[in-house]
Amino acid sequence: MDTPPQVDPAEQFGVVVARRLGFGFWIAAAWIIIIVTAAALAPWLPIADPNETGVGGRMDGPGWSNWFGTDSNGRDMFARTIWGARVSLIVGFFSVLLGICVGGTLGMIAGYFRGIVDRIISFSVFVLLAYPGLVLALLIVGLAGQTLPIVAMTLGIVAIAPIARLSRATTLAYSEREFVAAARVLGATDRRIMVRELLPNVLIPMGALTLLGMAITIVAEGGLAFLGLSVEEGFSWGKMIVLGSSPRTLREGPWVAMFPIGAMFVTVLALNFAGDRLREYFDVRELGIGAA
Amino acid sequence: MIVLARRLAQLVAVVLAVTFLAFTAMNTLGDPLFNVVGFVAAVDCDAVVAGEIEDISSQGGTTLGDCVVVAEAREEFHLNEPLPIRYGRWVGDLIRGDFGTSFKNRIPVSTVLADRLPKSLLLMGMAEVFAVALSVPWAIAAAYRANRAMDRASTIGAFGMLALPNFALGVILFYFFVVKWQIFPSRFEDDNLALRLKSLVLPALTLGMPLAATYFRLLRTDLITTLQEDFVVMAKAKGLSNRWIMFRHALRPSLFSMVTVFGLNTAALIGGALIVEQVFSIPGLGRALVEASIRDDYPVVLGATVVIATGFVIINFAVDLAYSYLDPRVRRES
Repeated sequence: MDTPPQVDPAEQFGVVVARRLGFGFWIAAAWIIIIVTAAALAPWLPIADPNETGVGGRMDGPGWSNWFGTDSNGRDMFARTIWGARVSLIVGFFSVLLGICVGGTLGMIAGYFRGIVDRIISFSVFVLLAYPGLVLALLIVGLAGQTLPIVAMTLGIVAIAPIARLSRATTLAYSEREFVAAARVLGATDRRIMVRELLPNVLIPMGALTLLGMAITIVAEGGLAFLGLSVEEGFSWGKMIVLGSSPRTLREGPWVAMFPIGAMFVTVLALNFAGDRLREYFDVRELGIGAA
Repeated sequence: MIVLARRLAQLVAVVLAVTFLAFTAMNTLGDPLFNVVGFVAAVDCDAVVAGEIEDISSQGGTTLGDCVVVAEAREEFHLNEPLPIRYGRWVGDLIRGDFGTSFKNRIPVSTVLADRLPKSLLLMGMAEVFAVALSVPWAIAAAYRANRAMDRASTIGAFGMLALPNFALGVILFYFFVVKWQIFPSRFEDDNLALRLKSLVLPALTLGMPLAATYFRLLRTDLITTLQEDFVVMAKAKGLSNRWIMFRHALRPSLFSMVTVFGLNTAALIGGALIVEQVFSIPGLGRALVEASIRDDYPVVLGATVVIATGFVIINFAVDLAYSYLDPRVRRES
């Protein structure tokens, strides 16, 4: 406090001088693209079979032949980390997609029609939010089974409530605006107003949310794995971390757990950063042209 | 008063809705009978009584005796009544303080809760203490010299901290402090309070550090905004010391969003406790819930659900009250 804290003058007066995504965004985006490509092309990449035992010795440290070392069955951890990305990313992507389709629609309906519809949807959202999401996911997966579609669907259901709340708030704000009133005066149907006038505006904050949501669901899937409730067949990063985190494995080969942890950390970091930047980039209010 | 009554009604409605959902899900997706009597539950007893299925008891099959056991179990746990009536009965029992009986070992659910809940509460309490103890001084130091090296490094550090899942942090801490340096015990030790606290240090850190990062980010931003207010300039002009201004003038109005997030974060805290209990094998409420839901032991699942949902709603209620203490403007409005 010797000098008054320096604050970006642009921030202070609510004007953003230049809109740029910045260098960091492109690094984050590059990492996301690399990991998605590697996961998608995993069967054709020149890497070892992730389930083949005895590729290296038992618990070989990281080295030239096995970049990330091997686990107690001599399986190549580098190949497994790439294959683990497949399940993690699939779960992350499809659960957020489900959450946005269902939650986004519900939120728009509630925010546009108001009244009794809004009351019912808002109370349901409130109830869903009144319960820790992970506990909800645990109940559903524990009861319905541990297949990939069920795990993805469950995390999608958990994502519905917060997404519906955001979409409702955005819709509420926009349906008061002049262009919506103008459309109504021109005789547009409710459906047309919602799809043509409101949806494009609601989709913008949703887009940034996709990346942040993927980060959250990838972590949530790892959490389920620690509860013994991740996918039964195949493996995700979360499941790899669980397998590598027994005291014995940690003592003999910490790399078995640490590489999947690192992969998950960097990916979540990249998704968070890119999502944050995109949200700021598309936040029209900061440009001073949105609703005050 | 009216506000209070409305909030209480809302609290009850939410708890009822949550438990009804859990009740229905447990009964439609799982087979509660299976856990009481085992595989026999799957037998079509009507067919056995009618003689349509051959009695193959000598080969480990079904007998009329098994069917009697099934029928008795149905009777004992009221499983042959329609779902709404069973839910009504359960709520009635709950109001009288009876949480029902666990399907496993037939222990009263209240005993399970009384045994498990204190451990989880201690864990979450310690995590919050760590989080506040870390984040408040950290945020004050960063905001004191905003945009300098230390502030920038902390902001990046907090961002990174938030990207590290709690189970990953748990595994990393476990590796260094338990496996490598052997400072902390590898399992939960319950013999006395000192041991209990010691075995909870790592789990509480695992739970508290991401929380500290969240609090840090909010408090830092709010402090920087507050320090630009006129009343801070005024205080400075009066010649008050920096320390006095920071702690007596700036800190309290800056705690606002931190308190909000404290309420909102409770769900994340409970979910996190669930995982951390699993990572560090602490026999808390979360573990009881995980085990019970895998076994379809729904009296225990419902009991834990009631406790968690009620606790969550009450904390958010308390947060609303805390607003009026921190910000006199809210008090005047209501």
